Amino acid sequence: MLSQNDELMLKREALNIRKNILRMIKAGKAGHIGGALSIAEILTVLYYKVMRIDPKNPKWEKRDRLVLSAGHKCLALYAVLAQKGFFDETILDTYGKLNSKLPGHPDMYKLPGIETNTGALGHGLAIAGGMAMGLRMDGLDSKVYVIMGDGELAEGSNWEAAAACSHHKIDNILVFVDRNKLQISGPTVKVMSYEPLEERWKAFGWAVRTIDGHDLNAIYNACMDMPFEPGKPSVVIADTIKSKGFSFAEGKVEYHYWKATPEQIAIAEKDLEEIERSLA
Amino acid sequence: MSEKTKNNIVADKLEERDPRKTFGEALVEVGEKNEKIVAISTDSSSGSGMGPFREKFPDRHIEFGIMEQGAIGFAAGLATTGKIPFYAAIAPFVTVRPFEMFRNDLGYMRQNVKVIGRCAGLTYSQLGATHQSLEDLAIIRTIPGVVVINPGDPIEIKKAVHAIAEHYGPVYMRIGSPKMPVLNKEDYKFEIGKGVEMLPGKDVTIIGTGTVLSKAYFAAIELKKQGIDARMINIHTIKPLDKELILKAAEETKRIVTVEEHYLAGGLGSAIAEFLSVTRPTKMKMIGVDDQYASTGPYEELLGLYGLQTNQIVETVKSFIEE
Repeated sequence: MLSQNDELMLKREALNIRKNILRMIKAGKAGHIGGALSIAEILTVLYYKVMRIDPKNPKWEKRDRLVLSAGHKCLALYAVLAQKGFFDETILDTYGKLNSKLPGHPDMYKLPGIETNTGALGHGLAIAGGMAMGLRMDGLDSKVYVIMGDGELAEGSNWEAAAACSHHKIDNILVFVDRNKLQISGPTVKVMSYEPLEERWKAFGWAVRTIDGHDLNAIYNACMDMPFEPGKPSVVIADTIKSKGFSFAEGKVEYHYWKATPEQIAIAEKDLEEIERSLA
Repeated sequence: MSEKTKNNIVADKLEERDPRKTFGEALVEVGEKNEKIVAISTDSSSGSGMGPFREKFPDRHIEFGIMEQGAIGFAAGLATTGKIPFYAAIAPFVTVRPFEMFRNDLGYMRQNVKVIGRCAGLTYSQLGATHQSLEDLAIIRTIPGVVVINPGDPIEIKKAVHAIAEHYGPVYMRIGSPKMPVLNKEDYKFEIGKGVEMLPGKDVTIIGTGTVLSKAYFAAIELKKQGIDARMINIHTIKPLDKELILKAAEETKRIVTVEEHYLAGGLGSAIAEFLSVTRPTKMKMIGVDDQYASTGPYEELLGLYGLQTNQIVETVKSFIEE
């Protein structure tokens, strides 16, 4: 369980992620906000309470790793890395500009703290599995965290990687499936359903837990309980709300990629101010 | 003279070695020197020559079953932790099939992974177009930062394995399957990106690579006997290309013939033409497979279908010079 102080701190940092996502959108005018906003709590707990990282030593060999398999959610990653001090927050204002260090999908050679070049879906889990395997071979107790989208699961390569992780008994990996239930062309169950996710992952040899993906305690407890079963890789099906925090966009498919209008930006600012007041 | 060498003018005089076995022996050698080297297989560790490595270093061999896309992702992840994965399997299954993984996870992520495509070119002659690999060099050389190597004899395979183990970065190396004649001496010096002038000459330059290097080399020898002073160059590294050596040959011999067991589109000849056409336009003839799915049958006969036998190369060069 998180202490009340921790919980308040985490709520503030999750709010900061959302503020920084909006800050980047203001700079670049458009971006993948839906999935970035839905993982804000997951990233907050990982970076502020769970992961063994040192922003001053981003290549520390004993660090935990985060693989953002759904690379289009990178606005949230850029935000949390800036907040943690991996790089200067003013870089966030270059989003969308020529030669920005913040491309629409992350590039590990542009900024410290980014572990992989993702964006093409269905790559992250295999890479993360290889990382976890390499860390285990070296006798390190570092963990690998992965964030995937629910729409992403239609890529068959994920299931190759899922099978290999369980076959090789990789239990230093924890996957969060951000089940926000929407993808670019509609509800995930209508576009290409991989439900029931829990049973599919179980059938692939994973230990599965389903949580509310905005519940800070539930995220934290899942991280503390990994591996859910020794010798098995762990997956959290995190039920989330796409575009969480922006009232006009929550749960709406049109905001997978948002081309921002000044009116909408004003609403989003007001929404975030309200959250801020509630945390005062 | 065996069926296999009937069209070779001197090949039957040379020792021949198995390329996959040679690769496997070299992998054990580099594995002994560097414990970070790991072997990755996808249901073909023995067929890819990795049996001895697997026996010697069981903890450093990782099997993935028939999972070529996944294996490349895992290799990239292993490399992020400092491992040096060598992943070997049938050439099209490590290039064409997982191309996006190669491009993004190895190329774009600049990971220190060595991918070996075996039974490349037409060497899986009887198994048909799904298993033959005639576009691997073309597609992999489009990936920025990837070194592409196509060794031409067993000594070169061995030296290349040592060189790529030392080189930091993603590498694609292709090898064949039938035994290859030994063209080089044991003390041969191999350097990534440096072509080799095997024979001097001033009338024409033949540039060969990989599995058919010997065919081209013997053609050059035969041409000399017939009074045509053919220069012979081995380009074992398709990328980065040895531009200096190629430019010198173009300037000094005015004509270039390329010989490769690959599609004409995108291979060695194409890479050389891309360079020379904007640097020093040079008359060229390219020998390889044109725009078709190759046929099946005995390997040596199949090479003959696409003009890759020594006597055919001799005739092609002679008529090219007369043009």
